[in-house]
Amino acid sequence: MHSALPATHKKKTRWYQMLYGVRYALVISIIFTIVITYGLDPGSDIKLNFIASMCIGSIIYLLFNGLRLTLLNEQRKHKLWYMIGLMLVVAPLGQVAGLKLFSWLTGVSVDSIASLLPTRIISTLTFTLIGGGGAVLFFANREKIARLEAAAAEEKARAESVARQAMQTQLQLLQAQIEPHMLFNTLANLQGLISFDTDKAQLLLEQLIQYLRATLSSSRADTTTLGQEFALMDAYLGLMAIRMGTRLSYTLQLPDSLRETKVPPMLLQPLVENAIQHGLEPKIEGGHITVEASTDGARLILTVRDDGLGLDHPGQTKGTQLGVSNIRERLQVMHGDAASLSLNAQPQGGVIASLILPLQSTTTSIPS
Amino acid sequence: MSEHTTRPIRALIAEDEPILAAALTHALRRLWPELEIVATCVNGVEALQQGLALLPDILFLDIKMPGKTGLEAAEEMAEQWPETRPFPHIVFVTAYDEYALSAFEHAAADYVLKPVNDARLGKTVERLRQRLNAGTVNTQAAPPADDNLARLLTQLQAMTPPAPRLQMIRAAVGNSVRMIPVADVVYFEALDKYINVVCHDGEALIRTSLKELLPQLDPQQFWQIHRGTIVNASAIATAVRDDMGKLSLTLRQHPAQLRVSPLYAHLFRQM
Repeated sequence: MHSALPATHKKKTRWYQMLYGVRYALVISIIFTIVITYGLDPGSDIKLNFIASMCIGSIIYLLFNGLRLTLLNEQRKHKLWYMIGLMLVVAPLGQVAGLKLFSWLTGVSVDSIASLLPTRIISTLTFTLIGGGGAVLFFANREKIARLEAAAAEEKARAESVARQAMQTQLQLLQAQIEPHMLFNTLANLQGLISFDTDKAQLLLEQLIQYLRATLSSSRADTTTLGQEFALMDAYLGLMAIRMGTRLSYTLQLPDSLRETKVPPMLLQPLVENAIQHGLEPKIEGGHITVEASTDGARLILTVRDDGLGLDHPGQTKGTQLGVSNIRERLQVMHGDAASLSLNAQPQGGVIASLILPLQSTTTSIPS
Repeated sequence: MSEHTTRPIRALIAEDEPILAAALTHALRRLWPELEIVATCVNGVEALQQGLALLPDILFLDIKMPGKTGLEAAEEMAEQWPETRPFPHIVFVTAYDEYALSAFEHAAADYVLKPVNDARLGKTVERLRQRLNAGTVNTQAAPPADDNLARLLTQLQAMTPPAPRLQMIRAAVGNSVRMIPVADVVYFEALDKYINVVCHDGEALIRTSLKELLPQLDPQQFWQIHRGTIVNASAIATAVRDDMGKLSLTLRQHPAQLRVSPLYAHLFRQM
């Protein structure tokens, strides 16, 4: 239980919270002063009453909380009767010691307890006990609220972390999904080729296997290398180039120095798919795709460029926006504002998608 | 009569993926050696041009193609097809879930799934042969193919999720926005990227497409009569067939005459 408390609570010692209670003890002492001066003992000196209240209040406060916190159990909570019992012991002690302190400080002589009438002793003690009891209830309540708040905050943090992790996994799986439409069309091509061009059928099958394998491993991994991601894109674009014939050509540019750079998987794939599905496939002449990795200081820049139909033609569906917002959400979870994705129209037509990632950061792990 | 039996059956294939086009050609040669494939088109625009130029008996149309979809190409072809020639039989070639296949079943237009298998294509070939034979003996035996297409298009439109009904049309005119109650519209006319909204007291342009507008209109009140025209049914005065057999509408209190596509001619048959 103790170790499960949020980090900020761990560092404080158990007596630390006595500091916070002081202001409430002060308020109670002031209330006492007012009650004595204007209620119980009219005409008495308010300054002296205040000093006396402060003396008694402070000693009771120190004794009560000091003892209570020292004897604190593992759960950091006490039964109410336990606290009341403690107060019953502490209040008379505080009363006697407080008055001694008061007369020592002010030089005003106070009648010794022994010389007072029994009724007077009882009434004074009762008064102090009522105040003490009120304070006990007040502090017990406050502590309970604080404990509940801490538990709620902890629960919330845990739930958020779980939700974030789940979302991350879900988004990654979503983006690693092999579109059934794409798979069926590829199989249709394969079936056709088998009957009249077995060499090309063999090539297409190899590309398909490479693509499926890379997609599956990417969907399970937390990180991958740029080399692997580019190999996946090569397999995908190779497949599409066989299917689309002369309508699709492509260039992949990955500097050797970036080959081993770690990146989160499945970030490039949806962008390349978008460029094909919404840019080049619906364009009568087809076109060219360039996928490029470069660096700018500590930033890694990945771009997917096409000369297709562009952003504002009616073929740009809700699916495109969903894919893009999925990537943005993943980037936000992984890197906060250090990563970004922008989609822009190219002046000569087509779209350029730019992914910017911090170069050092290589993991997708979530702070717990 | 002998001319009919000796004339070879001619087919057009429209498919944007070259391997799939070649595979379909190969399969058809195997299953129907007498069939003459007169053109293989790689996009919807080419399919429309070649179709109208070559006037084949059968169209194998891929649905998802650049330029125009197979459905759009068929629709436009039906509108421009010469009245003197029978409209071709259409077989849609589709990937497994591009369109709800039940719509194709109901509309009696034939379809084959990609990947195409010989057994299924064999059935299609059989059906096409029967229809073509029936067509040469008795033109009434089979419903005209463009009727099937009209039914298919209506079916597919009915499947688009119903959009909230439009009450007011907001059209930008200069610096102001004109508010036009939908009921006051006489007809909508597609103009490139805009729709011309025609009322009794003037016209206004809105930037949308008929495809997007149609689901927001009450189908009882607004009828599509052409690929580019939706008319307010209560504004129609008469439907007139001219010497060439083309159907057009005259309107109440409006001088315009609207062409009716053969696809929608069934809306104006007498009761």
